[in-house]
Amino acid sequence: MAAAARALRALPRALRVPSATRQLHTSPVCLKVSAGGAVRAGKGDRPVTYEQAHAPQHIGHRKGWLSLHTGNLRGEAGAAQRALEDAFLRRFLAGTFPGLLADEAVLKRRGNLLVVCALLGRALPPHKLYFLLGYAETLLGNFYKCPVRLELQTVPARVPYKYL
Amino acid sequence: MHRVGLLVCLCRARTRFQPGIFPAQSSTAALRDRAREPCGSSRGRTGPAGLREGGATAFAHSGPGPSRPPSRRAGPREERGGAGMAARCCQAGLSCGALLSQAVLSQAVLSRAAGGAPATPHWGRAAFSSAPAVSGREGPQPREGSVRRRGRTPQFVRSAAPPRTERMAVDQDWSSVYPTAAAFKPASVPLPIRMGYPVKRGVPPPKEGNLELIKIPNFLHLTPPAIKKHCAALKDFCTEWPSALDSDEKCEQHFPIEIETVDYVSSGTSIRNPKARVVTLRVKLSNLNLDDHAKKKFIKLVGERYCQKTDVLTITTDRCPLRRQNYDYGMHLLTVLYHESWKTEKWESEKSEEDMEEYIWENSRSQKNALDTLLRIKASENVSNVTEEELLASEVVKNYRNSVTALKNEGETESNMSQYKESVKKLLNIQA
Repeated sequence: MAAAARALRALPRALRVPSATRQLHTSPVCLKVSAGGAVRAGKGDRPVTYEQAHAPQHIGHRKGWLSLHTGNLRGEAGAAQRALEDAFLRRFLAGTFPGLLADEAVLKRRGNLLVVCALLGRALPPHKLYFLLGYAETLLGNFYKCPVRLELQTVPARVPYKYL
Repeated sequence: MHRVGLLVCLCRARTRFQPGIFPAQSSTAALRDRAREPCGSSRGRTGPAGLREGGATAFAHSGPGPSRPPSRRAGPREERGGAGMAARCCQAGLSCGALLSQAVLSQAVLSRAAGGAPATPHWGRAAFSSAPAVSGREGPQPREGSVRRRGRTPQFVRSAAPPRTERMAVDQDWSSVYPTAAAFKPASVPLPIRMGYPVKRGVPPPKEGNLELIKIPNFLHLTPPAIKKHCAALKDFCTEWPSALDSDEKCEQHFPIEIETVDYVSSGTSIRNPKARVVTLRVKLSNLNLDDHAKKKFIKLVGERYCQKTDVLTITTDRCPLRRQNYDYGMHLLTVLYHESWKTEKWESEKSEEDMEEYIWENSRSQKNALDTLLRIKASENVSNVTEEELLASEVVKNYRNSVTALKNEGETESNMSQYKESVKKLLNIQA
């Protein structure tokens, strides 16, 4: 736009037409972060877990990390690879235990070993849970070429932290 | 005709929406039990055990009986009840519900109850302030699952055994509960731990289903008795420290060269780290066999790698891709430096005053000036010619020489300056 104005000034006065510029309309910048919001949008009877109730700015203060590995430390490599693995693992778990996950899965890495800690509901009988456990461990171990251990805990119900 | 029809409709409607009648509940419970136990062995079940709501006594006779297939018992009320449940679920009309066969209905209910595929795990009570622990309080109930009505959809809830903590002795072997690093298991840790930010006017959430406790790394597997066991197991693989090396000086005397390498541990599928190839070599020059010229040349060759205060030479190599190669290169550098510093090249004789490491008074300007001054003093006093050698050997000149050398080499200190003052006074024979 500034270049157009300069070009206009270079023209002889007779040829300058005020309406020959192109304008750009901008609005004020909206920098509000709305991620992870737990907003009351109803009667106040919607239960949320501790994880859902706290926004991302509380990570490190009221919340821990769902995924622990050395990739995000200063001077260490592999952050992107671990992030990609985490994304796939969460989708895989959501698909392997459909409707059973009571809360987010916690991923821990100890050297080569990958430990997945998941809280499940009790809709499935134990022998089916064990089958899914072995299935997930074997498949993930073959995918990532590293030992994978699933540590499952069952809870009778999702634990509500507060009602929004 | 119309009036009759209306009456019938009303009656049927009343039966449909009457709360507290859950015959279908009992039928589904019976079906479920039958599905699990095809042989039909009785399990000590009480009749209305699964039915907690009132008004079920009217249908107690239709309660679960292992030998009575409920499908054959299907009366109008049962059908309607089952249909009513379906109606409540899918908002279907009564007629539609009644048309559905009992078997299909129960199958649908069973699949929903057993799989729970579309429904997420239902919510429990908020146990953050006064409610006791949710899990493990289901002992008085029968072991098999019970149907709780929460909201509109009946959810199948499987009760579990009481937690292991209730059976733990105080003096148990804890290292068998947590032998290796593992996530926090609330049913295995007999501690009343709470973690989390409390709600307003509440307390932190309890340990059951607490994700924060699972997130953090715990050291429950590293109690002092467990570490003692580890040490005892590792002892067989350890060798004693050599008794001859009982002091730092002896270690330095026998092993003057120190090699420092760093190993990096990280989480991930790769063990490679490019920072691991760096090798640092440290040696004291006093441990090397160098004479005066060799030492000076050595120090000039290595430059910044030598520390004057500690007399330590540090060589850091990282130009090769492997640690072994860097180590070999470091040793090669040390060897080459040592041999080169013992050699004397022809051009080293051109070493001038600027190249000197320390101040040498002989053949310096200070010596020339001092001698010059003394000779002129002597000439003005008309003393017989004294030679330079005599002057140089005299006490005053020697004092002056020492003080100037000290000043130049060690810098200006109180003692150095006072010594210089005294020597100058003596040299110029000033009594003040």
